[in-house]
Amino acid sequence: MIDVAAVVSQVRRGMIPAHVYGDPEIFALERDRLFSRSWVFLAHESEIPDPGDYVVRRVLTDSFIVARDEAGQVRVMFNMCLHRGMQVCRAEMGNASHFRCPYHAWTYRNDGRLAGLPFHEDAYGGEDGFARQGQRLLPAPSMDTYRGLIFVSLDPNAPPLAEYLGDFAFYLDFYVNQSPAGIELRGPQRWRVKANWKIGAENFAGDSYHTPHTHASVVEIGLFREPKANKRKEGALYQAGPGAGTTYKLPPGEDFASQLRYVGYPDAMIPAMTRAWSDRQRALMENSGFMISAATLFPNLSLVHNWPQIDDRGTVRPFISLRQWQPISATETEVLSWFAVDAAAPAEFKRDSCKAYLMCFGISGMFEQDDVENWVSITDMATGSMARRLNLNSRMGLTSDGKPVKPPIAAFAGPGVAYQGFGEYGQRHWLSQWSDHLEREPASQAATDLGAAR
Amino acid sequence: MSNPKPLPYSDPAHQAAHQFLVEEAALLDAADYPGWLDLLCEDIRYLMPVRVTTARGAGFSAQPGMGHFDEDMYALRKRVQRLATDHAWTEDPPSRTRHFVTNIRTFRYDDGLRVESALLLFRSRGDTREADLISAGRTDLLRQAGDALKLARREITVDEAVLRTQNLAVFL
Repeated sequence: MIDVAAVVSQVRRGMIPAHVYGDPEIFALERDRLFSRSWVFLAHESEIPDPGDYVVRRVLTDSFIVARDEAGQVRVMFNMCLHRGMQVCRAEMGNASHFRCPYHAWTYRNDGRLAGLPFHEDAYGGEDGFARQGQRLLPAPSMDTYRGLIFVSLDPNAPPLAEYLGDFAFYLDFYVNQSPAGIELRGPQRWRVKANWKIGAENFAGDSYHTPHTHASVVEIGLFREPKANKRKEGALYQAGPGAGTTYKLPPGEDFASQLRYVGYPDAMIPAMTRAWSDRQRALMENSGFMISAATLFPNLSLVHNWPQIDDRGTVRPFISLRQWQPISATETEVLSWFAVDAAAPAEFKRDSCKAYLMCFGISGMFEQDDVENWVSITDMATGSMARRLNLNSRMGLTSDGKPVKPPIAAFAGPGVAYQGFGEYGQRHWLSQWSDHLEREPASQAATDLGAAR
Repeated sequence: MSNPKPLPYSDPAHQAAHQFLVEEAALLDAADYPGWLDLLCEDIRYLMPVRVTTARGAGFSAQPGMGHFDEDMYALRKRVQRLATDHAWTEDPPSRTRHFVTNIRTFRYDDGLRVESALLLFRSRGDTREADLISAGRTDLLRQAGDALKLARREITVDEAVLRTQNLAVFL
């Protein structure tokens, strides 16, 4: 039996017992104590634009139908028939007015209401034996949205999503609110990697230190001009609410519009971006030249914004990706990687931005390829007995008495706290939330029994 | 005019297409990527849609507007250049790959030969991990360029919705 308190106390001082990246007991704790209550991203409303549209997504092994009902409302329903427990939807996307269980033909409307129960009178004696009225597929215990991003929590008492996002919403908006039209998602690409899910989440939360070396090849071939160490370490590392992320530092002395032009936004998009973001949000780029790059919203949604060169003429175009590290086991993760773009962007920009994404991220992306190689290798090493004798040093940016090597950036425009230079602040911020969950006993949830004798 | 019937196996055009695919597979398995690029037309489009699980009546089985690959010559050259650097970690040490190409059918069209093939890619890395298999169908357009055939378009129809390989640092 694992000593959770001992593991957590090591993690809290920035020393990570290496086995947490490959330990089935830790994975069980994450299932029971973290994914049982945290807000988890499932889908974006642009994936289900019309009534009847649906996608099927999971929280670990729990499958949910995310559907837009006939009234246009987004519903998230546990994909299990109330009768014998069969999946009522076995496709991953489509359009349907009803979901019919293949087993005994119980049928549900796309808002979850039970609409058809064959031989109700003969089999159950009607409402007396099974109260059909008002029955519906189990809704997700908590569901909420932020700018079209659909989240669920398995905790019926989860705080409102906006409260959970807190100060991180300021940064999230750079990715999902470039104009009043919001973003639209394409994908996801889905693939399985033999890596622990935490490694990617931590990496995006603040690992600017890996960029110059892991991604040296993409600089050498002229695909991306920024990751050179001197540019990367001048970026900001911020921690805010449940999120943390990295920025680059763009050349100084430029105004807001030229910063956006520098990373490849066309003039047609800049007025809407100027209006969509607050003075404070613009100040992050304008006064300081901090351009957002990678981020992670705890626990397992990461975001990235990069600006590679997409042709021989030297055209630079930015792209946004949302990605989820969906845990399969202690040693395996399903990656879901979406391309995201301002829904109001010109068609030509959407095409170019998607090309930029495909060259950099996703299963074929030239950044992502080398990231995953590292993460698989770490996981390989974390499963043995020697990993139980090694605490990995995650104290970068801290002195021996736990103080920051350099003080936080004094006049940082964004909320939360931010540092300049290399340091594992974001990873520790993420791991601190992970620790909070792991040391809390799970709440027991009552089972619902439906249609039973009253 | 287009001809929907596959060419007989004895047709020299079919035999040339077959040989093209086998020679291409040999280059890929030998990691001769510059040699592979020489087989491609300058205006190549290299596509690999994301397959999805949909109901039989849905009328589609790929993500609209998203691929695993959607490449032009610039993008493919960059990938090949990257693999030639000393810092493409994911392929150093390199994968051991074998491209098995079979079920080849050739159709004669006005703009070239349309060639369908089945591909099984075996990929092994390191000494502790299980090997990966990727099964796909391919639809190619081969164009005559001088006395050689060149690949003008490839669409790779992968047979899984969730790929079981850590990345696509390899070509199919």
